[in-house]
Amino acid sequence: MNDDDITALKAHFEAARSHAARPSEALLARVLADAMQIQEEQAETPAPQGRAPAHEAGFWRQVFQGLGGWPALTGLATATVVGIWIGASPPSGLEGYLAEGEAAFVVDLDPWDAFDLASVMEGAM
Amino acid sequence: MPLDAMKDISDDALLVLFANGDRAAARALTLRLTPRVLAHAQRLLGNAAEAEDVAQEAMLRLWKVAPDWRQGDAKVTTWLYRVVANLCTDRLRKARPLPLDAAPEPLDTAQGADAALQGAARVDALQKALVRLPRRQRQAVVLRHLEDLGNPEIAGIMEISVEAVESLLTRGRRALAAELAGRRAELGFADEHE
Repeated sequence: MNDDDITALKAHFEAARSHAARPSEALLARVLADAMQIQEEQAETPAPQGRAPAHEAGFWRQVFQGLGGWPALTGLATATVVGIWIGASPPSGLEGYLAEGEAAFVVDLDPWDAFDLASVMEGAM
Repeated sequence: MPLDAMKDISDDALLVLFANGDRAAARALTLRLTPRVLAHAQRLLGNAAEAEDVAQEAMLRLWKVAPDWRQGDAKVTTWLYRVVANLCTDRLRKARPLPLDAAPEPLDTAQGADAALQGAARVDALQKALVRLPRRQRQAVVLRHLEDLGNPEIAGIMEISVEAVESLLTRGRRALAAELAGRRAELGFADEHE
């Protein structure tokens, strides 16, 4: 392209910029009517009910929830108390399993069921 | 909120207001963006009636996307130019080729009569030359020289590299110059050099 080409093109572009199409009142009215209608439709459509933001749980709350909440904790406490009582005052049925000088440990493996009894020789500790 | 109070609010902030049910934002966006959308559509299509349909459809898509618009992701105008180009492409694919002597659209003649006539003749000649350009060259030339956008923004709208934009512009300008070269005297350019 030579200089004349560039000069002429610039003049064409300038003329086109200053003669840009202008929207009619009718077009603006249609566009605005669409806008209002869409706004009404969007207002009638309920926003999706997302889950409420979770509270920032503290450490002990997380532990509590991790264990299963109050039902699990109740069973765990009961098993613990029973285990301590058995350790302190063994029922007569257990005496055959525990020789003099042996230590007995109650190991609670499943708070929902019964407890297991493990007998560990002192020498093995 | 009065419209005057909205002139300093960005397009995407207005769109968020629109999504929240603000009717003044709807009016402000309509008045601000419809002229640009219409002008762009008309430059790509060369047809006023079709350009009006495209402008209305593009704005309708904007209203619909408003609730999902994320501020800062993209310029509203960039998104709109892309939508307009896609809508125009669809129409041009379906339409028969425009007759070469298609009448220009009515022009604003607020300036002096002679200058207005000469300007109208130049616009008409440019528009006829534009519609003969390959679609992508036409889009790049219109965005650069008529919408006055920078090459990086054009690259974003056309989803190509800046280098590809420059290549399209070079070829488009060369083709336009060749197309218009034979009509310089008729369009008043000879007078300017004398």
